[in-house]
Amino acid sequence: MNSTQKQIETINNVINSTKENLKPLSINLIFWGFFVNALSCFHYTFPSLVQSTKYSAALYWTIPSIIGMFFMVYYNIKIRKNIGYETHLSRVIKIIWGVFGISWIYIVALSFYLKNYHPVPPILFLLSLILIMTGLIVKFKPVTLGGIFLTVFTFYLNFNPGINLLLVNIVGVSLGMLVPGLSLFYSKSINNLDG
Amino acid sequence: MDKFLFNPIRLKIMSSLINKSQCDFNYLKKVTESTQGNLSIQLKKLKEVKYIEIEKTFSNNYPKTSCSITKKGKIKFEEFFNSLIKMKNS
Repeated sequence: MNSTQKQIETINNVINSTKENLKPLSINLIFWGFFVNALSCFHYTFPSLVQSTKYSAALYWTIPSIIGMFFMVYYNIKIRKNIGYETHLSRVIKIIWGVFGISWIYIVALSFYLKNYHPVPPILFLLSLILIMTGLIVKFKPVTLGGIFLTVFTFYLNFNPGINLLLVNIVGVSLGMLVPGLSLFYSKSINNLDG
Repeated sequence: MDKFLFNPIRLKIMSSLINKSQCDFNYLKKVTESTQGNLSIQLKKLKEVKYIEIEKTFSNNYPKTSCSITKKGKIKFEEFFNSLIKMKNS
């Protein structure tokens, strides 16, 4: 490697060999979309079963969600090990979703202590902001649009307090996470984003 | 111009680390197409001049080496790349 041109080519080749793989992100979105929908549908169909005791509904929502969190953290660590590197982009996405996870725990814990405090609207609002950020960072419009839809939907929720929050969850999470996640999964440009 | 980065293995390591927050040893071995021993020597040299940081951990009882570029390393790499461009254009 004596020539300047050859050195520049080497640098370009190595840098261009890094591609941001967005498939794990899409799997995360699909997983949470299905997961929250399944919990919401079951709750909506069998409310007496889920709300049989004072804390049963709260436990019904928190325990499976925490198990889901551990499962997805394990999945993401495994994917990171297989790839062998972490780009700045994936690190940023990891951090903002980590912040969402911590905020989710905080909001849920708060709802245990405060009376008449329903955790669904603030969680959906936070989720919408995180989705917009993710969509803008990975430059994928369906995720950004899903986040914008969820923001508008959460705003609408404040003016219609009587609306069933389980239905809100189903519609919000389907259009905010599941549909963008599926479109990201089947997107042709999924592996073509530079890291 | 930084003569230290004229070495092709070192240059490939730095090019690989510039757009990543962390890289595993095996990935760098694949990218640099070098032997384990040679890569270890070059990583050690880059660490000595504080261009990179090396983190050694254990994963499933196997030692795991991860590398990341330092602020000094980033500056030196950028200076090196700009010098190359200048030389090419002159």
